[in-house]
Amino acid sequence: MVREIEPPSVQKEFLLAALAESRRLDGRLPLEMRKVDYIFGEELGCVECRLGKTAVLAQVTATIAKPRDDRPYEGFLLINSEIGPMASSVYESGRASDDEVMITRLLEKSIRRTEAVDREALCIIAGEKVWHLRLTLHFLSDSGNLLDCAAMAGMAALRHFRKPEVEVIGDEVIIHSPDERAPVPLAIHHTPLCLTFAYYENLQPILDPIHLEATLCAGTLTLTLNAQREICVLSKAGGTPLAADEIMGVVRVGVERVREMVKHLEEELEKDKSTRVVEVR
Amino acid sequence: MFSVTSIPPSSTLSFADDIPSSHRKHPAELDAMDVDEVGFEDEYGGAGPSKRTIVTPGEIITSSKEYMRGHGTYVEDVNVVSSVTGTIDRVNKLISVKPLRSRYNPEVGDLVIGRINEVGPQRWRVDANGRQDAVLMLSSVNLPGGVQRRKIESDALKMREFLAEGDLLVAEVQSLLGDGVMSLHTRSLKYGKLRNGFLITVPPQLIRRLKSHFHHIPPPCGPTGVDIILGLNGFVWVSSGTSQERREGGEGFDAEGVYSDRNDDITPEGRQAISLIANLIKLLAREGVPLTETLIGEAYTWAAKNGLGIGTLNEEVEERLLSEVVGLDITKSS
Amino acid sequence: MSSSRLEILNDGGLRHDARRPYELRSTSFLLSTSSSSSTSSSSSTGLTPPDGSSTVTQGLTSVQVTVFGPREPRQRSLAAHDRATVAVEVGVVPWASSGSGAKRTRGDKRLQEIGAAIRQTFEPVIMTHLYPRSEIAINVQVLSADGGILPTSINATTLALIDAGISLLDYVTSISIGLHLLQPLLDLSQPEEMDLPTLVVASLPSSGKITLAQMETRLHVDRFEEMLTLGTDEEGRR
Repeated sequence: MVREIEPPSVQKEFLLAALAESRRLDGRLPLEMRKVDYIFGEELGCVECRLGKTAVLAQVTATIAKPRDDRPYEGFLLINSEIGPMASSVYESGRASDDEVMITRLLEKSIRRTEAVDREALCIIAGEKVWHLRLTLHFLSDSGNLLDCAAMAGMAALRHFRKPEVEVIGDEVIIHSPDERAPVPLAIHHTPLCLTFAYYENLQPILDPIHLEATLCAGTLTLTLNAQREICVLSKAGGTPLAADEIMGVVRVGVERVREMVKHLEEELEKDKSTRVVEVR
Repeated sequence: MFSVTSIPPSSTLSFADDIPSSHRKHPAELDAMDVDEVGFEDEYGGAGPSKRTIVTPGEIITSSKEYMRGHGTYVEDVNVVSSVTGTIDRVNKLISVKPLRSRYNPEVGDLVIGRINEVGPQRWRVDANGRQDAVLMLSSVNLPGGVQRRKIESDALKMREFLAEGDLLVAEVQSLLGDGVMSLHTRSLKYGKLRNGFLITVPPQLIRRLKSHFHHIPPPCGPTGVDIILGLNGFVWVSSGTSQERREGGEGFDAEGVYSDRNDDITPEGRQAISLIANLIKLLAREGVPLTETLIGEAYTWAAKNGLGIGTLNEEVEERLLSEVVGLDITKSS
Repeated sequence: MSSSRLEILNDGGLRHDARRPYELRSTSFLLSTSSSSSTSSSSSTGLTPPDGSSTVTQGLTSVQVTVFGPREPRQRSLAAHDRATVAVEVGVVPWASSGSGAKRTRGDKRLQEIGAAIRQTFEPVIMTHLYPRSEIAINVQVLSADGGILPTSINATTLALIDAGISLLDYVTSISIGLHLLQPLLDLSQPEEMDLPTLVVASLPSSGKITLAQMETRLHVDRFEEMLTLGTDEEGRR
């Protein structure tokens, strides 16, 4: 991986001094997120999520495949998240850096392992045909906190997506085109969203660090929570040591934030839905 | 339910109780140690762990503000805390912890043995078991033939003829650069390229700083005796002996051959003697016995008396040697 | 997670391997275990023995760690002028786990993640500023896997670093914690790890602070707090 140039020490001192007064470079409060914008694409299941200047485009596609022999009732959900040089010049295509592995693994854990999508509902004919969903994440621009943005984009896309309705008559499967019959949404159990906190020595943690803040921090902690007050993933890989109640502190903050974020996401989805005319024949 | 076990080498390596104190410390050092040993224990602010001679990372050594922190420690609030596992070393108000095992920690004036890693512009980079490669500047070596002059460009072009990658050399630490890199020099006839022998690596903790690190075991041990160089970085060179004069540049000193790559002819007896000494050193090092000239000499005398010659030592002989020469009991029953 | 035939906790309050909920597996810590580490004759081959090594066994999980360094960085471009860089490599021997667990070795991503977690755990604990322009290489080899690879590796790495005489702020100790219904369990074995929400915690015993916390699988916030506190307490007892 290309090594990044370390930020100048003046900038570092300024940032830390500002944080000591609970101020951040972009004027946010320590535990405030950047503005989240969802831009829904023409197609169903295509969502671009913007978190400040960080942008991730998520696209869900579905094909029909044969299920695994040991899990005949389960469909597939594949998450494809390769960070290319488009996001930032430090990422090289082909070779995964530590950061990239972290992001990929956490997305996988947050969305797939928490069973956000009911995979058994993807079954068409047991042992024969199931839906194979593919969630592709394109990292368009990295100005810090790619992971949270990607999780939001991914979940938004999954909830935005509609799979074509299928009809099973005997052994025959008829896939109705969207013009014929209204496509159906996926069965989603819950909406896990990621929150990343950055820690500094002897300073309070901040939510949603921008790139500079993330480079200078002493450690990060990523939480995946849902609106049901459940922790799906918690990952603090090293960094500065914290006391248990400090961790609990951010978990409590996270619970509130995620509830707001899920509400915002649902409102946006609703707004988008109202613009789409669904013809029912 | 917990069993904390350690295999023999580490158990004997450090725990000095098994080793007679004469082997553990240089006599002069022992004297110095005694000076204000009395009352030291009571002076420690914190009770408990500080009484122990071996501390581990995170262990509080003292909570008294009187002490200064040395190597192997750090300060947290008012406490001096150990950062390595090792023995507490105290000089007046300075507390440091010496790790039981670690890489070589260079000091100016140390004699080290190293291997050339890289030939660079005006300098060689030498692997001397340190934390980073050491530097040997072209200006800090002697020219073949002992010519005294400034090094010129043609010398720089011939650097690989003097010392090439993989060559071993003995040198002295001239200075330590800002980030701890050792800068070496070989500006003495004692120093320079090594040949006619072989290298043994031992933990650097086993080699003490002594007046001389060049030792010679005289003739019955091989036709010309055996030379031993104890490098402070844990590299030990055992080679076929040369006479005092030849070594120091006296009569018969081959000034042109300083950078020679060819070994002299060594008789089979000479080779046996070298390997016997090497085996003795390896044995002592394996059992964590600090290496000194006298100890190696005694071990050799013992070996000669008991008619040991060729081949590796067997376990029984090793045990006898250690108990009779060093006074160390390694019987497996313990 | 899928239902399984395994009874996590039986009526008598014992786990499937007859442990009580808070009981750890039999554990052994060995130092200087690399065959060539104590003393060796490095002949002309130029092979250098590791500076420190350890083997930690917790139940049927066994991990060997060797530490090289501080040494001259293999890639000089990676050197930092004011501190040592830490490089971690994780490997699993093909025969480490049997049956269903064999999937673990597949996919480099998982191992890379463990490696990154170990590196980030130890970077702040090793006093890297003492060793400028050098490199500390940590090699983790999982010899047999029965749950708790990450905590075992962390424990072994601590010991190997100590064996190498590298300055640390403190020990780092780690343990895995699971939750069965309302009962927390400690030091999970492979079958338990598959079925229960698992939390891995690593902390510094003298301050009780947490350097690493990793959890997958859903869990209610309130339960989480209970597990976290328990984990920190247990580690202090090591």
